[in-house]
Amino acid sequence: MGLYNFLTLQFGKLIVKVLQLLHKGAGNLPGLILLGINKNILGYFKVDCPIIAVTGTNGKTSVTNFVNHLFEQSGKNVITNKLGNNLDTGIVSLFLKLCSPTGKIHADYLVLEIDESHVPVIFKKLKLETLIVLNFFRDQLDRNGEVETLILKVKSFLETFQGNVILNADDPNVARLGQANPENKNVKYFSVEKYKYATDKIHEVGEGKFCPVCGEALEYEYYQYSHIGRFKCPKCGFGDNEIYLKVENVDLENRHFTVDGREYNINNQSIYYVYNMAAVCAAAKLYNIDGDILRDTLDTFEVNNGRMEKFSIGKSNAVINLAKNPVGANMTIRVMNETGCEKELMFVLNDNLADGYDVSWIWDINFEVFKDVTRVITSGRRAYDIAIRIKTSGYDPSKIEVYPDLDEAVENLFSTDGEKFIIANYTSVQPTRMAVINYIEKNQREK
Amino acid sequence: MIMKEIRILHMYSDMLDLYGDNGNIEVLSYRAKARGIETVVEHHSVGTKDTDFSSYDLIYLGGGADFEQQLLAEDLQSCRDEIMKAYDNGTFFLLICGGYQLMGEYYKDSNGEVINGLGMFPYHTAASLNKNKRCIGNIIIEAELNGEKYKVIGFENHGGQTSQTEKPFGRVLYGNGNRFESKDEGYFDKNVIATYLHGPLLSKNPKLADHIIKYCAERSGNSAEITPLDDTLEEKAREILFGRLINLK
Repeated sequence: MGLYNFLTLQFGKLIVKVLQLLHKGAGNLPGLILLGINKNILGYFKVDCPIIAVTGTNGKTSVTNFVNHLFEQSGKNVITNKLGNNLDTGIVSLFLKLCSPTGKIHADYLVLEIDESHVPVIFKKLKLETLIVLNFFRDQLDRNGEVETLILKVKSFLETFQGNVILNADDPNVARLGQANPENKNVKYFSVEKYKYATDKIHEVGEGKFCPVCGEALEYEYYQYSHIGRFKCPKCGFGDNEIYLKVENVDLENRHFTVDGREYNINNQSIYYVYNMAAVCAAAKLYNIDGDILRDTLDTFEVNNGRMEKFSIGKSNAVINLAKNPVGANMTIRVMNETGCEKELMFVLNDNLADGYDVSWIWDINFEVFKDVTRVITSGRRAYDIAIRIKTSGYDPSKIEVYPDLDEAVENLFSTDGEKFIIANYTSVQPTRMAVINYIEKNQREK
Repeated sequence: MIMKEIRILHMYSDMLDLYGDNGNIEVLSYRAKARGIETVVEHHSVGTKDTDFSSYDLIYLGGGADFEQQLLAEDLQSCRDEIMKAYDNGTFFLLICGGYQLMGEYYKDSNGEVINGLGMFPYHTAASLNKNKRCIGNIIIEAELNGEKYKVIGFENHGGQTSQTEKPFGRVLYGNGNRFESKDEGYFDKNVIATYLHGPLLSKNPKLADHIIKYCAERSGNSAEITPLDDTLEEKAREILFGRLINLK
């Protein structure tokens, strides 16, 4: 390590200390400053343990937290970015906080959630052992560009990568990455057996219509959700992969599935969640995690933090779920519909930088399938846009209430009893959680 | 009772559906239905045979990625004569982004590959080879609909720079338009609106949606009265965004 790198590192650690003394979050800022003055800084940290990274459009934070939990329960010392600071700035900030004065990072495992576009940037500088790729959906197109651009970024990294690659076999956009480096013998696929609500036709907006290898239209035996399902190219055979880990006998009502003949209880009733758990099981298999630890983790561990997080007050129950793209929102609507009783929906839509300024993705959400939704409340910076979208889908406009102010929206949501679902996008999910928590604290005694 | 109806042909809806553009059809159907006009939406995609283009009141194309635009270019060319005939017969064309580009002379994509357009209209488009150089953001233009000025709001996201649009759709009040920081946006004529505006376009511009519905209804021989609808939500959405974007300047 040269003197310059040594000095920038000390400077970075100083920034972290100062921010901590000021009680400011140091999630991204120190990394942003350091990368500004020394763009190679990531390469000067010395990591002495294997790195496992999780990437893909949806589910990164959940899977990262679960894998981290598995290792921790196995008695390992793990470093992770569990709050989802997943760009190079976030990783540098995390390392600055934890490294020795000479830049050493000591742990048994590093489990990192990494933004799709940052996979090549980060792992050009750090030695990766295992990459888990969950899915690719359209997401914040104005920030990320077309989905294809992101896939090509990850693919270009994988072309020379020799480590473990764990891929979702049921997403053609992910499965294609298995061919990025034909020399790599460590490519492993996970898959989920057809579940009860799988469909013959695509039900929600999807990407993988054409074979990424030869351009022929893909043939689907069934769709689990969006473009995730059992597919094959009739021309070149793409899609026929040997499965390393298969989740079978998916029973969402009773919340369990089996893997390699063993039954596991899970904490959630969405197929989308089952796919996240399939990735977790694949990681557990690869790292020989004890079966009982895996069973207990799947049964009891919860990420919360706005991911299917449950709240209740008086005679009301609310579930908040983050949805930053149509597939995420469609999943919550699926869960709503699979819940038999009457319910109300609140949708909070922001258009801040981290959300993408473009809100046209809400038109890819399937509101016309609404069942037993007695009232809709909208809020956020684009409260009116989402109200227009829901109205146009055919929902009775007299049952839509718009409150751009979040506290006002939450107060009105809880003015009635019953089941509530809250969908919030990226920058609105934490303020929404806080508004709900504040409301509950304020009103607990009265109810 | 004779049902009033508008016939819509949605071309390549399975490929050109990147930015929620299918929502435009939903808005048209919703607003037509509120006036007692049914919309019949049919599809043409790669390989569809014997599409009778002239039998439709509206032909619609949305936006897509470069990859999809390459895939459909050949099919589109094979329908050229029939599509031109429909335009001459007065079918209305609503063309968004990729659909806009493909109806011009040519489109040179971000990989430098040239896709021949249908040449229905005189403009052409070239994208920067730098994939990060795109016009992205909220956009407001001022268009003229039957002599009345109307602010149209949407979201643009395009690498393609379109030149020689003799008759632009509108004057840019906020955003980029046909090229980086240009004054003009889109292409416009009696029975065509071609534009880069997503949002989807018609979701926050109810008068524009009604302009198209009125044209189509009259063409199909239903002189339906386009009665006013309750557009409170739309007007509030517009007010907030105009306040945020135009007053910034």
